[in-house]
Amino acid sequence: MRTGQRRGASFYILGAFFALFVLFLYGPTVTIAVLSFQGPEGGLTFPMNGVSTHWFANLFEKQAVGDFGGSFRRSLALGFIVMSLTVLISVTAGFAFRRGFIGSTALFYLTVSSLVIPSILVSLGIGLLFTILELEPAWYSSALGAHLTWTLPFGLLIVFAIFNRFDKSFEEAARDLGATPWQTVRHVVLPILLPSIIGVALFGFTLSYDEFARSLMTAGSDNTLPLEIYGMTTNVTTPVLYALGTLTTVFSFLVIGLGLGGVFLLRRLRGQG
Amino acid sequence: MTKSIAGSTSALSRRQMLKGTAAAAGAAIGSGAITGFPTIWAQNIKNVTLRQFGTGVSNLNALAEKVKEDLGFTLQMTSLDSDAVTQRAVTQPKSYDIADIEYWICKKIFPASVLQPMDVTKIKYFDKIVPIFVSGKLTPESTIAQGTAPHSVSFVEGKDSKTFAKQPTQWMTLIPTIYNADTLGIRPDLVGRPITSWKDLIDPAFKGKASILNIPSIGIMDAAMVCEAMGEVKYGDKGNMTKEEIDKTIKVLTDAKKAGQFRAFWKTFDESVNLMASGEVVIQSMWSPAVAAVRAKGIACKYQPLKEGYRAWGGGLGLAKHLSGLELDAAYEYINWYLSGWAGAYLNRQGYYSAVLDTAKQHMSEDEWGFWMEGKPAQKDILSPEGKVMEKAGAVRDGGSFQERMGRVACWNAVMDEDRYMVRKWNEFIAA
Amino acid sequence: MSATALPPTGTTARAARGGVRRRRLRIAPYLQAAPLVLTLLVFLVVPIVTIAVVSFWDYDAVRVIPDFVLTNYEELLGSAVTWKTYLNTLRYAALAWAITLPVGFAVAYFLAFHVRTVTWQMVLFLVCTVPFWTSNIIRMISWIPFLGRNGLLNRALIDLGVVDHPLEFLLFSDFSVVLAFVHLYTLFMVVPIFNAMMRIDRALIEAARDAGANGQQILWNVILPLTKPGIAIGSIFVVTLVMGDFITVRLMSGGQSASVGLMIANEISLLHYPAAAANAVVLLVLVMMMVVAMLRIVDIRKEL
Repeated sequence: MRTGQRRGASFYILGAFFALFVLFLYGPTVTIAVLSFQGPEGGLTFPMNGVSTHWFANLFEKQAVGDFGGSFRRSLALGFIVMSLTVLISVTAGFAFRRGFIGSTALFYLTVSSLVIPSILVSLGIGLLFTILELEPAWYSSALGAHLTWTLPFGLLIVFAIFNRFDKSFEEAARDLGATPWQTVRHVVLPILLPSIIGVALFGFTLSYDEFARSLMTAGSDNTLPLEIYGMTTNVTTPVLYALGTLTTVFSFLVIGLGLGGVFLLRRLRGQG
Repeated sequence: MTKSIAGSTSALSRRQMLKGTAAAAGAAIGSGAITGFPTIWAQNIKNVTLRQFGTGVSNLNALAEKVKEDLGFTLQMTSLDSDAVTQRAVTQPKSYDIADIEYWICKKIFPASVLQPMDVTKIKYFDKIVPIFVSGKLTPESTIAQGTAPHSVSFVEGKDSKTFAKQPTQWMTLIPTIYNADTLGIRPDLVGRPITSWKDLIDPAFKGKASILNIPSIGIMDAAMVCEAMGEVKYGDKGNMTKEEIDKTIKVLTDAKKAGQFRAFWKTFDESVNLMASGEVVIQSMWSPAVAAVRAKGIACKYQPLKEGYRAWGGGLGLAKHLSGLELDAAYEYINWYLSGWAGAYLNRQGYYSAVLDTAKQHMSEDEWGFWMEGKPAQKDILSPEGKVMEKAGAVRDGGSFQERMGRVACWNAVMDEDRYMVRKWNEFIAA
Repeated sequence: MSATALPPTGTTARAARGGVRRRRLRIAPYLQAAPLVLTLLVFLVVPIVTIAVVSFWDYDAVRVIPDFVLTNYEELLGSAVTWKTYLNTLRYAALAWAITLPVGFAVAYFLAFHVRTVTWQMVLFLVCTVPFWTSNIIRMISWIPFLGRNGLLNRALIDLGVVDHPLEFLLFSDFSVVLAFVHLYTLFMVVPIFNAMMRIDRALIEAARDAGANGQQILWNVILPLTKPGIAIGSIFVVTLVMGDFITVRLMSGGQSASVGLMIANEISLLHYPAAAANAVVLLVLVMMMVVAMLRIVDIRKEL
């Protein structure tokens, strides 16, 4: 891939700028990491009160208030449901837009509005709606819907971006060779779409997993993780929250590392074969 | 940690010991015996799950565990921030069975028909509840403080009534859980002079280092204490201000804010702790356990008694309207359990006060009782419910005994007639 | 006709060629779009209509009362605080936009033109995303020990001898609010700009260079116009996210500043739902107007 071209001054300047940007992004992460090693008497702010791994152990114990485990499982489950539905709905809708249909422009702009309408409005609207209809909101119904209004537009935009660059001749070739529409989709379109589908899935999961405002009035009686953490801050003032943050970061790096390792390995194998 | 207790409750502990070998039904029968419910109910009560929500202040997992152990049924706790509490109470009445709310919030939400009053004849310790919540008077000769005093919203006129009764009736809205007398918290190492009055909060000496809490109904009361101490505003009733009084109060606050007096406003418990522990703020309105939390980190922090007296608040448990049958019985059992001492002692040890003092006392050591309730110096180290040292031997509680603190309440957190106007003005202050 | 007027590819000629074949499958696109339509209908359109309806209702301390009154709008628009708060929110949006745009552009430029393999682009993107997988609530709390009087930054500055007193404006100020916005939302600017840059045909840049254009001219006359769609999309993201925010403003200003989102959140917490709904409707109209204005610059469907 290297062209052997010499790097200009702009590379180094922008490179340094990028490094600073990353440093800035990691400012809170670093603070969290340092403070999660507070001593057993330590708090959420400096000064440090000794150094220990106490709070990592504490994370897995029963807390005075709140319930990490239950809310984490709910957020995880919700994240996965949102992820699957986002992929499914946005990809099929992508096909519809590709074919074209009456009202497609309206639907497109509706989807865009879903993206730009402030979260708290969606939360308020769904909350009010459920109250008026005397339905009981729950994380798997109203909150799921609230999250979808956020992840679907993202999903659809990504799918659009892909379809726009997707050469129709592949499909036509398949059709000319006598493939049924389903076979064309199954063996030609989906494999090409796969990487972006993974992108949609990742987006869907990440956006749902940390969504706060949209869950606020829609989660019902069981909290999702962000709500639980927020609720816990009304009582918990220990670095156990930071320990959770540090663990999340470490875990994320592990997953990325493993993923990348897998990609490199696959490439190598393919290269050899 | 807890000393074993003598008297009537020892039978209960013995029963718990037996429970290890006996069937769960045995415990259920036992729990039935506490409240005198027919045991036929108790047989399947362990299948009941009650959903309680409230702020993190009192929605403690330890209580739920103990309920499971003592009563056999499951108590599911959800803790929320104080805004979400009001919201859920009103808008999602089916999402909970028991609401843990403050009295001033009760004044707002009880008329919304989401809660049902409790029959006091089924409350075993009703007669022993601290009189503040019944007659309004701590002792027969004390005067009733201003604001939404708990007793004024404690009773309704009948089973289906939404009108608060002036006198105690058979129907109680909330069973008190915790309450306290609030004052200013200070960093004695950083304020540099004795603090004696509410007006010190907006002393320019603490410019950029003061904070006030941003929950309108509570913050306005702190502000009123300040203004009254300064002599800037004379109130007819701080708990029910006129528009003019509200305007004047907000003006004092706004001027102070524009002069850069406040470092921040806080809304949740942890914010107040972080502000104080990090040294961002040296004087602010604060809650007692927050002071304890700062101190537990080895940082000097004092809950400073002030000459004008305290601003008090109280919270309690209410039953959701939809509760009936077995679940309702379980809820009554839970409430009777709550008042029977263990929970009270647990809450007292965090620096709050509990509703029935006699029973709580039986679950506390003499030293603990002396320190928390009587204002005596601690004989030994005072431990938190989790077993951490909270206060070293020799320490004395800020403000002294229960009588000294609750006896000097100047006003309660309140909902005023001009609530809507006050909130609008408060928002103007925040936006200023 | 409008059916095929706007296929995302814009390859109308090809679409027409396959037309005969497609007619048989006419119903398929409707079925395929149905789940999206349904979801948005139930969880977006109906709730927004609900808000609009409720904004005309009356309320007391605890209940909303179905009615048709204009008091909510009168109180909202008649209050100086509302205008001040809206102006303040717009100011935050403008500041956040003015900073995220150049920063996002520079970062996207680096990733698109200086990072040469897709793998490395991916790795660097992931590195940028990791901080966001820690709950936002936890990250927000950690700004205090980072920016506070005794925070990491102030101590570093003092140790380095840059200042001798801790800088107070770093926390609980407009500075910290905007800083947090930049932190949260710059990536929303980077991704669409990066996407637009990747679509630029590299031959075009070569051609410009061959024609004697210097780096600055290429940037200004070739790259910038071609990334305009990305900039527009990124700007829409940043501006709408800031306009609706409530938690960042509250935590980072130490509760001392107001924003529209915060105002709505406050009204909700006080159970003043109709007031909140009226405020929401006004905010919605404002945001929509801003988005429409930005969409005039670019047809995002074509430019994705």
